[in-house]
Amino acid sequence: MDKLVVSTSAHIKDSDSIPRIMWGVNLALLPVLIAAVYFFGLYALGVVLSSVISAVITEAVIQKFLFKKPVTVSDGSAVTCGILLAFSIPPSVPLWLPAVGSFVSIAIAKQCFGGLGWNVFNPAMIGRAFLLICWPVEMTTWTSPLDGVTGASPLGILKEEGFSKVVEFFGNRTTMYTDLFIGNVRGSLGETSCLLLLVGACYLFYKKYISWHIPVSFLGTIALLSWMTGGDPLFAILSGGCILGAFFIATDMVTSPVTKTGQLIFGIGVGALVVLIRAKAGYPEGVCYAVLLMNTLTPLIDRYIKPKPFGVVKK
Amino acid sequence: MLKIFLNGIFKENPIFRLALALCPSLAVSNTAFNGLGMGLCLLFVITSSNVIISSVRNLIHPKIRIPAYLTIIAVLVTMVEAFLHAYVPALHKSLGIFIALMVVFAIVLARAEVFASKNTVWKSLMDGLGMGLGFALAMVLLGIIRELLGSGSVFGYNIMGQNFKPILIMLFSPGAFLLVGLLMGFFNWYERRFTKNL
Amino acid sequence: MNLLTFKGGIHPKEEKFYTEDKVIREMPRPTKVVIPLRQHIGAPCELKVAKGDNVKTGQVIGNSPAYICANVHASISGKVVDIASMPHPILGHCLSVIIESAMEDKWVEVEHYRDWEHLTNEKLRMIIKEAGIVGLGGAAFPTHVKLSPPEDKPIDTVIVNGAECEPYLTSDQRIMIERAKDIIQGLRIIMKILSAKKAFIAGEINKPSALSLMAKASKGEKDIEVVPLKTKYPQGSEKQLIKAVLNREVPSGRLPLDVGVVVQNVGTALAIMEAVVLGKPLIDRTVTVTGLAVKEPQNFRVRIGTLFQDVIDACGGFDKEPGKIIMGGPMMGIAQKSTDVPVIKGTSGILVLPKKEVNLSHPRDCIRCGRCIEVCPMRLMPNMLGILVERAKFDEAKRYHLLDCIECGSCGYVCPSNRSLVHFIKLGKFKISKK
Repeated sequence: MDKLVVSTSAHIKDSDSIPRIMWGVNLALLPVLIAAVYFFGLYALGVVLSSVISAVITEAVIQKFLFKKPVTVSDGSAVTCGILLAFSIPPSVPLWLPAVGSFVSIAIAKQCFGGLGWNVFNPAMIGRAFLLICWPVEMTTWTSPLDGVTGASPLGILKEEGFSKVVEFFGNRTTMYTDLFIGNVRGSLGETSCLLLLVGACYLFYKKYISWHIPVSFLGTIALLSWMTGGDPLFAILSGGCILGAFFIATDMVTSPVTKTGQLIFGIGVGALVVLIRAKAGYPEGVCYAVLLMNTLTPLIDRYIKPKPFGVVKK
Repeated sequence: MLKIFLNGIFKENPIFRLALALCPSLAVSNTAFNGLGMGLCLLFVITSSNVIISSVRNLIHPKIRIPAYLTIIAVLVTMVEAFLHAYVPALHKSLGIFIALMVVFAIVLARAEVFASKNTVWKSLMDGLGMGLGFALAMVLLGIIRELLGSGSVFGYNIMGQNFKPILIMLFSPGAFLLVGLLMGFFNWYERRFTKNL
Repeated sequence: MNLLTFKGGIHPKEEKFYTEDKVIREMPRPTKVVIPLRQHIGAPCELKVAKGDNVKTGQVIGNSPAYICANVHASISGKVVDIASMPHPILGHCLSVIIESAMEDKWVEVEHYRDWEHLTNEKLRMIIKEAGIVGLGGAAFPTHVKLSPPEDKPIDTVIVNGAECEPYLTSDQRIMIERAKDIIQGLRIIMKILSAKKAFIAGEINKPSALSLMAKASKGEKDIEVVPLKTKYPQGSEKQLIKAVLNREVPSGRLPLDVGVVVQNVGTALAIMEAVVLGKPLIDRTVTVTGLAVKEPQNFRVRIGTLFQDVIDACGGFDKEPGKIIMGGPMMGIAQKSTDVPVIKGTSGILVLPKKEVNLSHPRDCIRCGRCIEVCPMRLMPNMLGILVERAKFDEAKRYHLLDCIECGSCGYVCPSNRSLVHFIKLGKFKISKK
């Protein structure tokens, strides 16, 4: 009876916590991993493991020896970062490459900024951008699922040879859409199977870990803009990691705006940038850089998009 | 005297501690050779300008001191450029515009304003030497690391072997940014540790 | 059914099953009471008795010439054994009168008015002031002040607050079930004093029997309406209640009377009726004693000044080792460091959480998930307030409307980083008030 806990209200708490959310996201990514192993073989699993292990070790070492803070790898955020990085690189990369990428993600994009919650940029996307700049050849060698033949990704074909060649490559439009939807195309490890990504996304919606605002405004903007510029909206959405980006990367809580209105603006911005990069810039796909660019605007959006407090009248 | 000299190398290293003259350090430290060349040029310019400005410091009207300093520095820089053009054309080519830009390097003007205009010729000489050397050393350090990681060699000699996949980002300015940031952090950390032990 | 409510809010587990079917019982008279001279918002009372005096139940032992103040009465008859600074559930310590009980409960002579309709409003306010009535929902603001709006702000509506949105607490619910007629009579007195045309009795839909009994008791009275509200925390907060019932927003930094409304808790309405009709000052109140660690959770009518330990003992003591003892509900209540504190006028409940229900996990950094913004009933940005106060940027926090916060605790409840956002906000308010 001598030891009573004294603290400020509230004295009760709902069950959600950071570890729960992060491991929930990891769980939602699991079906995609299975698809990746099915399409690209066990080597894909090696790529993911290399990335995850490197991320976890980097975080633990930095927290323990450099910052001398409690190690928080058990919250799952480093694992999430490692998985997302591995999912956004080609399946045929040498195994050291994702490890280096994860190191950069965690060390530079996350811990240098102060750890989880303070990072300005999405760590996984920083890691990917770093890898793409450093080793462009490895990062743009796409292998076909199942048979492992290398060649251009659908967006690469679109960029170089035009849309009709893309349709030709798949056979016809219907097989193009179904192949893209199931994931039977060349592309990054975890971005190809839209179907299983959506299964994971449904879980996140069910758990309320993400809201509809960013995915809908993101994909909606891409569809609208590519339709307006004469492209194929469905193809634009299903290819090049848009689904992965819309549900798992752009929705990262830390680097997206806190208000729902802000999230809508954020999503529209990412979508517009993706279309712009695909159409005009040197890269065939653009989700990574679009997300990173909008990350820089997040503080600004949060500064101007605030809820109107109860009972406050605009002067 | 020695303290003033060492001050520029460690305690107030232009790049890592004062964060001045970052533009050239990002741009031309992509190889160790370029870094060394740039460093030596600046060593000459900052030392001479410190000496000249401190010797004429009482003759310059305070209201027009900045144009006066700039004129002096510009003369020195022109000399350097002509010298490089004549004797080391390769370096002149790779440093390019940054030789002329030395006129407006923050570190040169800053030392003229902060130090040379208030101190004797001898002290200014030591300060110029220290600052110039600190800058040169930092540039060489940056150059070595960037060249090593970015193309696997140092001063043109291949070190990392054939199987090394160069980290291309180190040859671009983003890589230099990252490196300067990390080294700055390292020096801050080192100093904090060092002073704590005192 | 489309129930009235406000935007934001949370749905914590209700946990009312412990006590919601338990009839309010009179707690056995304690042998000793500790009555603090300050149990309300406003000036502290001046001592009116001395050590060694014999006092009767209902005798004034502290009052004050100050306007914002409520009298304090002896809650039992007996002898004043000491006057000392004693533990207080809110203030830490407070000058208190300690009375040891005599054998029998002797009351002072009281005047009461069955035919209060003929009294002047001034007289009614006087009775309420003399009876020491304060808001019994928890804030403990002197009721006679609330019932004296300035001339230029006419009150058109009275809302009786039976929302009781705090989990665990059931005292208001039981009062509504057992004393519906008396509450209506108290409401009539309030309406007369304020010359209000319309009254609402508002309660959350999770207490259907209370609401239907109130509706039955007010049948045929056209100007009194019972409104069921959505079950959502903090539905019982004054501003949110007014928004839900009348769709009026109390302006930032203003009071409900600025929009022509006065809100009174059901307990307060009952106390007003008892003071006027029965002549009984506020010497006891209904307290819900609950929580997993209490052997027999109860709704008790407890004399003011009874120590928590005595109340808990009357409920059979602890069932499990207590981890946290809270005065009030789990969302806004105040954790106590011991059971030596007395029940005061603002004690709506005593909640004892066992060790395993105490949240001891460490707070982490904000991950900007935005949940606190979604649930904030005042539509503030608790995430920013927390960070700004942490960084001692109080002026900036003020620009983020720190002072509008009602400290309902919804933000802390949903925070996945387990941040004590209410703690930061309270600290920020304190620092700003010191400036």
